[in-house]
Amino acid sequence: MSGVVSYLVFFATMAGILGIVVLGLNLQWGYTGLFNGGVAAFFGAGAYVTMILGGRPEPGQFGGFQLPFVIALAGGIASAGLAAWFFGRLTLRLRHDYLAIATFGVAVAFESVARNAEWLLGGAKGLRGFPRPLEAAIGNNFLYGLFFLTLVMAVLLAVYVGLERLVHSPYGRALRAIREDEIAAQSLGKNPARLRLQSFVIGSMIMGAAGGLYVAFYAFVSPQDLAPVLTFQVWAMLIVGGAGNNLGAILGAYLIWAAWTASGFLLAAFAPQAMQLYTGPIQYILIGSVIVGMLLWRPQGILPERIARSGHRASGATTADNGGN
Amino acid sequence: MRLRILGSMAGAAMALLAPAGGAAAQECSVKVGAIFPTSVDWGKPIAETALWVADMINQAGGVDGCKVETILRDDQNDAKVGVDAAKALVDISKVQLLLGTVASGITIPILTSVSVPAGTMQMSCCSSSTRLTAMANEGATKGLWFRTFATSSVQGAVAAMAAKEAGYKKVTIFFKNDDWGQDIAKIAANAFAKSGIEVTTQIAITDGQPSYRAEVARALAAKGDAVYLALYPKEGIAVVREWLSLGGTTNMIGANALKSDDFRNTVGMQHLANFVGTDTSTPRTDSAKGFVAAFTAKFGKAPAGPGLPNSFDAAAISLLAYHAAGRNATGAQIAAKVGMVTDPKGEKVNGDVDGFKKALGLLKQGKTVSFQGGTGAVAFDKNGDVSAPAVLWTFGASGVQEKRYITLEEVGAFISSVK
Repeated sequence: MSGVVSYLVFFATMAGILGIVVLGLNLQWGYTGLFNGGVAAFFGAGAYVTMILGGRPEPGQFGGFQLPFVIALAGGIASAGLAAWFFGRLTLRLRHDYLAIATFGVAVAFESVARNAEWLLGGAKGLRGFPRPLEAAIGNNFLYGLFFLTLVMAVLLAVYVGLERLVHSPYGRALRAIREDEIAAQSLGKNPARLRLQSFVIGSMIMGAAGGLYVAFYAFVSPQDLAPVLTFQVWAMLIVGGAGNNLGAILGAYLIWAAWTASGFLLAAFAPQAMQLYTGPIQYILIGSVIVGMLLWRPQGILPERIARSGHRASGATTADNGGN
Repeated sequence: MRLRILGSMAGAAMALLAPAGGAAAQECSVKVGAIFPTSVDWGKPIAETALWVADMINQAGGVDGCKVETILRDDQNDAKVGVDAAKALVDISKVQLLLGTVASGITIPILTSVSVPAGTMQMSCCSSSTRLTAMANEGATKGLWFRTFATSSVQGAVAAMAAKEAGYKKVTIFFKNDDWGQDIAKIAANAFAKSGIEVTTQIAITDGQPSYRAEVARALAAKGDAVYLALYPKEGIAVVREWLSLGGTTNMIGANALKSDDFRNTVGMQHLANFVGTDTSTPRTDSAKGFVAAFTAKFGKAPAGPGLPNSFDAAAISLLAYHAAGRNATGAQIAAKVGMVTDPKGEKVNGDVDGFKKALGLLKQGKTVSFQGGTGAVAFDKNGDVSAPAVLWTFGASGVQEKRYITLEEVGAFISSVK
């Protein structure tokens, strides 16, 4: 029994970390309409920089500055933001599919750098040895699992509350206006280029925070963690949960990750012995079917976007000034 | 019948699980976790081989009289998925032994965040990262980690052996600029230095450059009397051509990646008279041939593809160690028994049902065995790594020719001499 609880704590932690990434993507795609195909790059920037700042030193390896976890994580978040700002300046003028391809390219390039720049990012063998925050003080494995889950939940909640406030403010309406009709928004005095960049940077910083938590959780990061499948998983979570709805984004993360892992578990437990070798591909088929089914029958996601009709009416134009220009 | 087998043994191993004796007559099973990328084309046969070993162990009587129940999970070549599967196997299914996985980027987080904290033993067939050796060396794996994959240490050391035999004094190293090349160059440089051969300089060769003149000029300036080439054929051809055209020496030692007709034909036989290549080899033992024959009989095709004999040996050795430790053993207790299965002084047992029967019997009596597997007589060092036999080869009129076979014992002795 305790084993089941221990596993569920582990599961909830990983799903929570993925949930944070999905929230970041939701700001970019759900609210601003930015097709980020390089989620793995910003997640990875957060992960790698957190590791470099907070990890233990190793001979012949850059990094290992052993900074306190909070500072290392802040560095990871900042670097994801910086990367997003830099690549955003270059690519955000592109629309939809072009932006997706450009950002996908950024992610592939980042993975390639991580794989090759051994002195800087550890090369194919990755970086390890992250002192997990307060691990020594807590000692017990199971209690530490609970503590880490609490930490992830706290960050998830903070991001959720922050985003909710952001998107329900006039600033959020400006983002949605750009998503729906950029020219119309511009004619109302909004600066689409700047708003798109801001949304892209904030969303990527949220992804970077998730990357930092991921590194602290596994105490290890390698180019294997930056594979394009991460971007795909996060997108699947957002689409199933409901783009444009933060609660839906979190729900999608938990549901898809549960489907992803439970399908493997159930197949291993109940599939006949002869089928054991084929459970891997079957698992892929199941996951794919869930996503296709959702797209066909509920394209808006489980919790679709709800546009609040607030009482702003005539005052809308003046309050929105906070966000524009 | 199981009662009789159990009742008759009084080996030291049994002392660990005294309470289990009474329940022996019942049907019992031991759960073993296996994590492989079964959804990847080359991953499936690796998993299939491990399952086949478990079947044979069951036919031979099972682990401590219990049926081996392998729970196979796919890691999808994704660290998150692999670690989750491992966590479920350890926490929910309570396995004490994990087999897998292939990619080092997944094996390492499984090891550090699941196996080691839970005290589960983990044995991989195929993870190649040198980081695993370093981790074991600093004690981070707590002796729970093993792999049946021979690392680049064999080839790196054998290159120094070849240089020593040829009487070279100063060697210049060219290496492919990826994890394999970085790794093998580091190991070879150390082996050269320890064998009294000076390494003049090490030059990284990045793929796909139009010319390597600058790199070659740097190497020439270093004035070595031989070069070591840890390169792939395409870059190898480009580098060697420029090297020879600028008057570089034809004293060359190459890694196994250069074993290509392309390299031989393009560089030209007139320049390759002094070329010696290195490679690891499948051992020339009966057991290795036996594995090929048994695999062919079972699956109707020869074991082509990476990691199959390694997967066979990983599954066999760890299950035999499980047997020696007893059905209720913990991961650490199983790991402690691995030495009983791979004792060079023990009785030789083969990797087939009869061999497993014999091994199970001997281990129960507290005797050690020397398991003769698909990669030969495997022996782990203190970091859970294995060695392999090697060959030196040359280019001849009809292609690659073997120059010399270096046995596992010779390789082992040389590697420890340059440590």
